[in-house]
Amino acid sequence: MQSKILLQQNFEIKGGDFINAGESSIKIRNILKDIGIDSDIIRRVAIVAYEAEMNVVMYARHGKMHLYVYSNKILLKIEDRGQGIKDIDLAMQPGYSTATEEMREMGFGAGMGLPNIKKNSDVFNINSTIREGTKLEIKINLNNKNG
Amino acid sequence: MAETSLFHSIRIDKKKCIGCVACMKICPTRAIRIRNQKANIAYGKCIDCGECMRVCPQNAIVPITTSSADLNRFKYKVALPSPVLYFQFGHHIMPHEILSVLKEIGFNHVYDEALVCEMVGLAIEQYLDENKSPRPIISSTCPVVVRLIQRLFPTLCKNIVPIEPPREIAAKNLRDELSKEKNLLKEDIGIIHITPCAAKMVSINHPATMKKSFLDGAISIREIYNSIMMKIKKLGRPSILQTQNRISGIGIGWSIPGGEIRALKYHNCVSVSGLHDTIKILEDVESGKLKDIEYLECLICPDGCVGGPLTVENRFIAKSNALRLIRMYGGKKRVDSNFVKKLYNDKFFSFESSVQPKPFPPLDTDRTKAIKKLKFKEKIARKLSGKDCGLCGAPDCITFAEDVARGEAKLEDCIYIKIKRSKGEGKYEKKKT
Repeated sequence: MQSKILLQQNFEIKGGDFINAGESSIKIRNILKDIGIDSDIIRRVAIVAYEAEMNVVMYARHGKMHLYVYSNKILLKIEDRGQGIKDIDLAMQPGYSTATEEMREMGFGAGMGLPNIKKNSDVFNINSTIREGTKLEIKINLNNKNG
Repeated sequence: MAETSLFHSIRIDKKKCIGCVACMKICPTRAIRIRNQKANIAYGKCIDCGECMRVCPQNAIVPITTSSADLNRFKYKVALPSPVLYFQFGHHIMPHEILSVLKEIGFNHVYDEALVCEMVGLAIEQYLDENKSPRPIISSTCPVVVRLIQRLFPTLCKNIVPIEPPREIAAKNLRDELSKEKNLLKEDIGIIHITPCAAKMVSINHPATMKKSFLDGAISIREIYNSIMMKIKKLGRPSILQTQNRISGIGIGWSIPGGEIRALKYHNCVSVSGLHDTIKILEDVESGKLKDIEYLECLICPDGCVGGPLTVENRFIAKSNALRLIRMYGGKKRVDSNFVKKLYNDKFFSFESSVQPKPFPPLDTDRTKAIKKLKFKEKIARKLSGKDCGLCGAPDCITFAEDVARGEAKLEDCIYIKIKRSKGEGKYEKKKT
């Protein structure tokens, strides 16, 4: 069954801005609370949004996150302009990270970002072009209680 | 949302309230609105943190605790003071003396909580050993933190350590012991917590994790302070209780930040105190940012329970008194860990039921309508000045926009909108400029 978009929101993410990192995912969380999404689903969306946002902050110059709410699912699209991922299979391995020493010292770059995103999504798609950027598409199904 | 003041520890004295915005501005869950020049609490949103009580310049916000009439219902009255009580008096007055004075002023029995704090600490360690996820595990000691999580961070309910705080465990143990020892009916025993905050009253009347609290009531340190002081003055040096000379330094430490984690064998633990810092760190936890932290101690009051709104001594002096007592009693473990392990396995410390999420109601229960209201809220928010003046009766512009979207306020309540309209700067004119 085809369902239509009930809500769309866009967020800009600035690469290298560690100070404001995480704000978009907080906004997304609040929106989902406002429209009565189940708290377990919110938790999953929040983790996905936060990890994806951090990836943009760490590895890209600029990025956009789009939130789409359908009656039966939530779709997150994250596109960035940045260095891209050389070997996606490798990047998907838990613990694998290309984070710099400085990032690790700040507590980022444990190599769990992409694996965590995948773990929390129902459908996960990734596309990356080296020196251009990365696109993520994540779907999380809503267990439909009230349409 | 039919919650009334009966479920809460805070009441507004409408005669004293002048309708200033102090309480409304500070409220972390935005539960207060000014209507008809008086503050009103939406009790469905209140988490009993007591911040409003602290800032009210008119003393119009009153804590609700156990009355003396309620207290007199019990044949056998037991005082179970928070160790914070010990830090309220000068350094020449020792915990034993305070406990014995409590017996002089009408309690049949007194009990020191510190030893139980130490036991609960060991139980928490056992829980961390046996459960490797989720992380971080969050302390259950502060009843406001539990309510804050239920309301604002419902996804973190699973992270709360399912172990009752020391005051409940102490009361549970005491009632069993006393009824056997003194041959009393369990219902004749009234176990009263002497508390630094009113929130404990809520956790006693409406516990989040069991049907009925093991405590029967709470009296604030403020209420009882004068009678203790008077008695001490009168008695000179009161007789020292012989039966309870084992006060635990580790246990006393629970009343200041870091107390719960100091004795844990896990090193990657964090202690946070104060409302806004607690909210900030819970936001980080909700994002999955702090998964490598084992245990998180959150206390709503600044500097933890020594900074409770119903204490007398200022929190810096109280903290220094606490540190002195901790040094004096030492960090030696006074509890047999095998005994605690056995109790733990018998589920003596466990929650009866898990903490349930109680998120704020969405803009509408119908999702399509909720989304419509969300868009409307955002549209209104763009029109507002963003000055957060509070004159409309809502704490800030975003909350006002939400109230309008929910149909609980009118756009004309905003003074800036009103001025604009009276100047004829309607929508049409704005577009032209």
